[in-house]
Amino acid sequence: MIGMADSGSRGKGLIDTLRRGFRSMNDSIGPENLGKSEIKTKKKRFRIILVAGVFFLAVMFLVSISISSGGIIPITDAFSSLISAISKGGEDLTTEELYVFSSRLPRVVAAVGVGAGLAIAGCMFQALIRNPMVDPYITGVSSGAGCLAVAASTMLASIPVFAGYSAYIIPVAAILGGLIAFAATLLVAEGAGGSATNYILSGVIVGFAFSSVQTVFLSLNKDNLTNVMWWLYGSFGNITWENAFLVMIPALGISLIAMLWAREFNVFTAGEDQARLLGLNVRKFKAVMMVVASVLASLCVAFVGVIGFVGLIIPHACRMLLGSDHRLIMPASIVLGAVLMLFSDIIARVVIAPLELPVGAITAMIGTPVFAYMLVKRGREYDG
Amino acid sequence: MTDDPVLEIENLRISFGDFEALHGISFSIPKGRLVGLIGPNGCGKSTMMKCISKLHTGWTGSIAVDGNDTSRMRPPDIAKLVANVPAEVGSMYGVSVMDMVMLGRYPFVNKVWWESEDDERIVMEALKTFGLEHYRRKQVSLLSSGEKQRTLIAKAYVQNPKLMLVDEPTSHLDMKYKLEVMEYLQKMARSDMTVMVAEHDISLMARYCDLCIIMKKGNIVTIGNPKEVITEDLIRKVYEVEARVGVDTDGEIYVLPKRSVQPAGAPEGGE
Repeated sequence: MIGMADSGSRGKGLIDTLRRGFRSMNDSIGPENLGKSEIKTKKKRFRIILVAGVFFLAVMFLVSISISSGGIIPITDAFSSLISAISKGGEDLTTEELYVFSSRLPRVVAAVGVGAGLAIAGCMFQALIRNPMVDPYITGVSSGAGCLAVAASTMLASIPVFAGYSAYIIPVAAILGGLIAFAATLLVAEGAGGSATNYILSGVIVGFAFSSVQTVFLSLNKDNLTNVMWWLYGSFGNITWENAFLVMIPALGISLIAMLWAREFNVFTAGEDQARLLGLNVRKFKAVMMVVASVLASLCVAFVGVIGFVGLIIPHACRMLLGSDHRLIMPASIVLGAVLMLFSDIIARVVIAPLELPVGAITAMIGTPVFAYMLVKRGREYDG
Repeated sequence: MTDDPVLEIENLRISFGDFEALHGISFSIPKGRLVGLIGPNGCGKSTMMKCISKLHTGWTGSIAVDGNDTSRMRPPDIAKLVANVPAEVGSMYGVSVMDMVMLGRYPFVNKVWWESEDDERIVMEALKTFGLEHYRRKQVSLLSSGEKQRTLIAKAYVQNPKLMLVDEPTSHLDMKYKLEVMEYLQKMARSDMTVMVAEHDISLMARYCDLCIIMKKGNIVTIGNPKEVITEDLIRKVYEVEARVGVDTDGEIYVLPKRSVQPAGAPEGGE
C-alpha cells in the first residue's frame, strides 16, 4: 500500500501519471480506487501520451531547427525563418531560411521517423520474442540491413546503370539485408530451441557476421572515412529533402499501422500456447509481425546507418512506466522514440560544433547505463 | 446439474512419430461436473486436454463440446467454448493481474481496440470472486504461487467457457492453497461450467470431484464416482504402487501410498 496515503493530494500532471505508472505495478489497490475503471484510466493515459507527445515533439522540433553545428539562433527566429521559407515554397531563400528549411528541417523529419520506427520495431521484437532485452540491433537486423546497404552503396552505385537509382536501391538492399539477417537469426535460434536466450545469442553472432562483412565493404571504400563512421554509428548528416520523406513516411506509417495489432501483442505476451488457445493465429501473426518489424528497422538503417539502443530502451522504459498494455506502450514508444532521436541529434550537433558526432554514439552513451540499470534491477524477470 | 453431455469423445487417437499417445479413447461427460483426470506421468492426460482445445492437431476420431464438432471449428470459436488453465506460464514481464485476466475476453472483443464496460465488469467480478481485486495492478510475476494460479483460473473463467481444462493446478501449492484452488474449481462446476482437472493428488481428487477418469498408457482404465472407482486394486494396477485407500470420519476417502510394486521380471532393489 506504499504511496496510497498521499493519493488525495496528487495533481493531475504528467509527472504524477508517470510516477503512478511506476508505482502501480507493485502496489495493492486501496479502497478508494477499488471501483475505478481500469479501461477509463488507460484511455486517459492514452490521451495524456498523445497530448504530452505532441507537446514534447513540438518543443524538440523547435529546438532542433534552431540549433546546428554552425551555431544557435533564437527559437522565434528559427520558427519565423521556417514559416517564411514555407510561404516562399522553398525558392529564393535567405541564408538563414536556407539553413532552417533545407538543412535542419529534413533531418528533423527523418529523425522523427527513424526514432519512432526503431522504437516500435524494438517494441515488436520484444513482444514477439517475449523478452524486453532484445531490439533490432541485438536480433542482427540492423547489422544485416547496414551490411547490404553499404554493399549497395559501394558496389552498385558505381555501376552506371544503377547510379541514378541509389536513393531506391539502398533502402531495398537494406530491407533485404535486414530480412536475411533476421531469417538467419530465426533459423539458428529455433534450431537451438527457440527460447529468448537463444534468440539473443544467435542474433549476436549473426550481427557479428554481417558487421564483419560490412567492415570489408567499408574498407574497400576507405577513401571516405567519414562515410564509414556514418554507417557504423549512424548520422542524420546525409539527410536531404530527397530522402527525408522516403524514410519518414514509411517508418511512421508502418509504426502507426502496427499499433492496430496492439491487443494481439498483449495476447502474445501470455505465451504462444495461451495466445493460440485464446484464438490468435499465432504462426501467421508472428511471421507477419517479425517481417514487418525487420522491414521497419531496416528502412531506418538504410538512410541513417546503425543506431543502437533506441529500439531497446524506449519500449522498455515505456513498459516500466505504463505496464504491459501495448495499446499504451506502442504510442508512447513512437513519441518517446522520436523525442529521444531528436534530442540525441541535437546533442550530436552541438558537442564538438562545428563538427558533428555520430548520433548512434549519443544514443549508445545514453542507452548503455540505462540498459545496465535495467538489467541489474529487473534482469531476473527476463529469464527464459 | 443435468445429464446432457458437454464433452463427447469418440475413438480419439493421436501419434507422435511412431509413438501412439492415445489409443482410441471414448467417453462423455455430463454438464456441471468437476471431473478429475488421474493417471501416472506420461499416460496421456495433458495430450488429451491439448487435443480437446486443439493445441494438438493431427488427431483422429471426434471431439464435440456442447454439441459442436471441434474439428470444424476455428480457434476463436473454440476459445468461446473451451478455456485452458496451463500448469505454469513463462516469464510474464510487467503483465498486471488485471491485464492478464482481461486477456480472457480476447475471443469476444477482437474487433475493437478497447474492451467494453461489460467486459470490464465481467473481469472485475471475476477478480472479486477469486479474491484478486486488491492485487489487480500487481505484476503477475510478483504474485505467490497460489495467487498466480487464481489469476490463471480467473482468466479462463472470464472466457465463460462450457468446459474448463485445468492442468495440474496444485502442483506448486501448499495445503491451504491446494484446498482453496479445488474449492474454487468446485464452485465453478456448480455454476454449470464443467471443469476437467488433471492432478496427481488422488485424495484431493477423490474429495472434490464428481467424476474421475483414470488413465494409463493412452487408454482409459475406468470412469466413475471416485468413491466407487478408487480402490487399492486400481492404484496397484495403474500406478504399480501398494496403497491404502481408507474412509475418513466424514465419509471421504483418502489414499495413502505405501511402497512401489516391482513389475514382474524387474531386478530386486537394494544391495
